[in-house]
This record gives sequence, structure tokens and C-alpha cells, in this order.
Amino acid sequence: MTVNMTTREDFTHDAMQHAPQLFSTAMRMTRNRSDAEDLVQETFIKAWRSFATYQQGTNLRAWLFRIMTNTYINKYNAQQRKPTETELDDVEELFLYKRLGSVDQSQLSQSAEDQMLSLFTDDEVKKALEELPDQFRIPVLMSDVEGFSYKEIAEILEIPLGTVMSRLHRGRKSMQKMLYEYAKERGLINEALLPQGDDE
Amino acid sequence: MANCQETLNEMYAYLDAELAAERATEIIGHLKVCTDCQSAYEFHAEFKTIIRVKAQNDELSEGFLDRLRECFGDDALNDA
Ligand SMILES: [Zn+2]
Repeated sequence: MTVNMTTREDFTHDAMQHAPQLFSTAMRMTRNRSDAEDLVQETFIKAWRSFATYQQGTNLRAWLFRIMTNTYINKYNAQQRKPTETELDDVEELFLYKRLGSVDQSQLSQSAEDQMLSLFTDDEVKKALEELPDQFRIPVLMSDVEGFSYKEIAEILEIPLGTVMSRLHRGRKSMQKMLYEYAKERGLINEALLPQGDDE
Repeated sequence: MANCQETLNEMYAYLDAELAAERATEIIGHLKVCTDCQSAYEFHAEFKTIIRVKAQNDELSEGFLDRLRECFGDDALNDA
């Protein structure tokens, strides 16, 4: 096929629009800036090389994320298709929500829900994500951070829809538990107010 | 209308915009009349927002952006 200058400029422009989101996801995947930069760069080089197979009008963003995810999985030997069931503890439903009543009210002027945004720091949210095993972290990143649909995530990861949903569910609950632990470490949780039956 | 258990089970599917319109209407119907479920829903809506906002603010350096622009070079044109 022929790729003229206009096509190249358009493609560069379009791909660069997605660089910030790709980079943030790469940071959560690799957990460090240097590897994340290399991963996005490799993604763009691969995307440009396989430009001929890119169908005009298809979702460029999903296509780039798919290339990046595959690159990450191959490069880092990420365990993708065979998660071991023991890799995440089973966390009860509504874990964090049930415990917000135990947040020390002296630290929170308004209702706990209103304060949740300021309760957890950016670093804590990033750390909670980064501590998830790959097979749970990537679906959570794709859904909660990037806003892809279940179907798009299934295509990006080449796993069944039901697997996407169960990994999202378990990954999110596990994140809630980690964030709860961080809040406890910072003294924001009054343990005397914990709900009964807590398995701490 | 959906009941409490169904609403909590399908809350995330609703938040993820994965429910069919008819089912979403049933969930919304329950949220309007049940403060318990509404409170749980608002919590998880906020939780989802928090993850997006707080995990997506990594700054890209100018040098890195330059490196990225160089990815779209001539070699791919020759390969094509
Ligand atoms: Zn209810």
C-alpha cells in the first residue's frame, strides 16, 4: 500500500492524542517511568509498522491499547491466561462501603462518602492498582481508568466476557481491601467501630 | 422494579454502562426509592471515579513526547 505524508501526519496526530492515557496505563503496568516510556514507544513503533493492517474507521484507541497490552504481556511474561485461584484472597461484597462508618469522624468533617475523594491519596490509589496481579490489574485499568466496555476488554485481552467480569469483580474488591489497609495504617480507621464479624 | 439484592449485584454493570436500557431503568427505579442501595451506589460511583482521576495523572516529559513523535518514521513506509 502507499502511505503518503498526509496519512502519516494524520496517524501521528491521532496516535499522539492517546499518548497520555497509554502512558498512565503503562506506568501502572510496569510500575516505573523508564519501562513505561519504553512500552509506549514500542507500542507506537509496532502500530506504525502494522499501519497497513489498521482498518480506517475502527477504534484506534482500542487498537493501540491492544498492541500495548500484548507487548506488555509478552515482554514481562505477565500471567494472563492461567491465573491461579489463590493469587487473590476472597474479599466480601461491599468491603469498603461496609467499613466507611468506622472512619474516624474527627478526621472527616462531612459524610464519609463525600470525603472519599480526599481520603485516599493519588499514590495510595496507584499503589493499590499496582499491587494487583496482572490478570486482575489489567481489566481494572481498562475499565475503571480507561473506560473500555467489557466487550472491548475481552478483545484487548483475548479472554471471554465472563472472565473479564469475574476478574473485574475480584480485582475491585481486592483494591478496596488494600485501600482500607492503607487508611488503617494512616490512623484513619477507628477499629472500635468496625462492623461485627470482621475477619481481621 | 429490581429488589435490593439484584440492585447490589448489578450495580457495577450499571455503573460500567453494561446494562440493557430496560434493565437499567429497573435499577434506577429501585435506587430512587431505596436509600440504602442509593447510598451504596453513590459510594461505588465515587470509587470508580477516584480510580480514574487518581491513576491517570502521570506527567509526560517533553523529551519523551519527542521520542514518541520519532516512532512514525520512514522505515514503516518502506516495509509497507
Ligand atoms: Zn435496595
